[in-house]
Amino acid sequence: MDDLLQHFIVEAHELIQQATDDLLALERSPHASAPMDSAFRAIHTLKGSVGLFDFAPMGIALHAAEDLLGALKEKQGGIDSHAIDSLLACIGQAERWVAVIEQTGQLPLDAAEEGYRLARSLRSQLDEDAARPADAISQSDLAWIEELQAQCPDPAALKMQDRPLVAIRYTPHADCFFAGDDPVALLRSVPDLLTVRLSARDSWPPVAEIAPFACNLRIEALSGAGLDRVKTVFRFVPDQAILHEVPRLAPERATETMLDNGSTGIATDSAGGAGARMLRVEASRIDRLADLVGEMVIAKNALAHLAGQLGNGLDPKHVSQGLLASQAAIERLVAELHGAVMDVRMMPMRDIFRRFPKAVRDLAGQLDRAVDFSMEGEEVEADKAVVEGLFDPLLHILRNAVGHGAEPETLRLEAGKPAKTRIVLRAYRDGDRVKVEVEDDGRGIDPAAIRETARKRGIASAEDLDRMSDADVIDMIFAPGFSMASEVTDLSGRGVGMDVVRSAVERLGGQANVRSQLGHGTTIHLSLPMTIVMTKVMAVRLGGELYGIPIDGVLETAFVPASRIIPIRDAEAFVWRDKTLPLVRLADLLEIQPSTEPPQRLKVVVMTAGDELVGVVVDGFAERMDILMRPMSGLLAGMPGVMGTTLLGDGNVLMILNIPELIG
Amino acid sequence: MSVRLDGNLIILEGICRVEDAEPLLGWLQADRGRIVDLAGVEHLHAAVLQVLMALRPTIRGMPEDAFLRDWIIPAAIGEGRPERES
Repeated sequence: MDDLLQHFIVEAHELIQQATDDLLALERSPHASAPMDSAFRAIHTLKGSVGLFDFAPMGIALHAAEDLLGALKEKQGGIDSHAIDSLLACIGQAERWVAVIEQTGQLPLDAAEEGYRLARSLRSQLDEDAARPADAISQSDLAWIEELQAQCPDPAALKMQDRPLVAIRYTPHADCFFAGDDPVALLRSVPDLLTVRLSARDSWPPVAEIAPFACNLRIEALSGAGLDRVKTVFRFVPDQAILHEVPRLAPERATETMLDNGSTGIATDSAGGAGARMLRVEASRIDRLADLVGEMVIAKNALAHLAGQLGNGLDPKHVSQGLLASQAAIERLVAELHGAVMDVRMMPMRDIFRRFPKAVRDLAGQLDRAVDFSMEGEEVEADKAVVEGLFDPLLHILRNAVGHGAEPETLRLEAGKPAKTRIVLRAYRDGDRVKVEVEDDGRGIDPAAIRETARKRGIASAEDLDRMSDADVIDMIFAPGFSMASEVTDLSGRGVGMDVVRSAVERLGGQANVRSQLGHGTTIHLSLPMTIVMTKVMAVRLGGELYGIPIDGVLETAFVPASRIIPIRDAEAFVWRDKTLPLVRLADLLEIQPSTEPPQRLKVVVMTAGDELVGVVVDGFAERMDILMRPMSGLLAGMPGVMGTTLLGDGNVLMILNIPELIG
Repeated sequence: MSVRLDGNLIILEGICRVEDAEPLLGWLQADRGRIVDLAGVEHLHAAVLQVLMALRPTIRGMPEDAFLRDWIIPAAIGEGRPERES
């Protein structure tokens, strides 16, 4: 895929998003001028970019959207929901098209039809006088064709034609020069011209005000070449050209044909680039990186200087001092560089949040629920992988909030709640974690209903269910195979349950929880690490080797006298803070020969494995460290019990163990 | 540049591109009496053409190119057919 197309895709996503935001803002306050202007600009720019490629149907639809917005803007009469719906439909289609373009490099085959349909529906909302002449033309409005025929310099040629004539009325867009069009060159390629008439689309402005690059031409022509061949010439400007087939000298039976741009998509090389991910980064962050690299170069040069001094037989003590200073400087720089790189990967929640208002609106419309959706904390930043990984889970949670949380208006009013269900999507920072919540004031989750469903689906036994607290019962919505939907709707028919939400969040290193009060609403709470690239690990020693354990799960390290180990059948346990914990030996887990002499005091890492606590016996505790974990790849990708690796300062590889998986 | 000014004569030559429209317009705006010579033109970009249509300067010479000669120039200049240079 070529560069230009890639940039187009990135830009198109942004512009589509911008237009969607603005349209939704307009829906809330139909008379606001700022979102109107902004939406107009976004659609206008997008239409312009589309013009650079062979995506005519998309251009036609967007052009119609731009015209409609332009007309509404001029009238200053506000915008009705009907217009918003058609505009959003157009933008939504554009978004789908961009997605297809991203995959295949071209528009889908049915795009032409869809583009015209959208354009027609948008234009039908334009006033008569605002409609462009191209669309306003009707059968009775074909006088120009007769005039053309009358003007033909060689009337005999017309009569000699045994094929029908094609009348062309080509009105280039005012900005067509910027798109690289040359209407004269286009006309030149029309075969078998019989008459040409040139005129100004709008009367010429005073001489001093003529804009040389705004096209103001109307080109009318007759061709004897047959509709198909003429059509081919105008295939890239189907919205600007009207072609009529004129049965010889019988204009009253003319039939109108709008060009169909069927499948003229130029196949762009879609190999390679399609999977590449793009990252938009503020220039200042890159500048900082560049500065740091500059300093790094200086620090490196200092080392060369020191090496030179050493070669010249200078006092080693002096050199070693220099080396230490140099090392300290490099260490500081590396830390800063790392921070700067992490910074580049940080992106605000806004990038995904902004897609939700439209999704919620669509859902609420589908389900006929009145929803008052708001968002907080869009500026909260987290690692790109975390933010992007949150989109699907959040969409699903919001879907549930609308589909299951929101009650019909009448029920809400009876319950003394505001008519609209309030749904808040909120993000905030909490230490080095990012919290994201979806809160609704809907009907809440009924523990009795969950118990009933869980019993029916066999997720938990009746006794267990009776013993569980309501909070634990509600937490079962995250259990695999649990789906709350009592009726199958468009929402729940997607085969995605809350269990998928929880596992997606856990994959990102986070947790998902739910709080709910029957009749008062539900809050789904997600807690995520701000970066997933940096992992804090504790190194432990076993035999001569070091292994890493992610510190997230580690509660404590303890020394346990051998005498306090309680053998239970073929397993072991120990008492820790008045709790009996199972004890496992890391050597057994890794199937390594244990050290010959069992020590008097066992070194135990107390950590969580799933929902349970467990003690893991190791030979020694080593330091904690922040590491950049590399996931296992290639042949080792499927290796159980190892999360990844990192390089230690001495060049050795540290394996990061997944203890819960090892215990399995 | 396929457009140049020679005294009171604006000479268009070869393939006139979109960017030729601006100088042509500027020269004609500055002095409406200037004459435009089209004899050496092989193609006229629509932007250049519409400047000629809007300002209707006196035209001299006729392009060799059949398409321009038969269709574009007559349609753009209308009744005021340019005199052929002898």
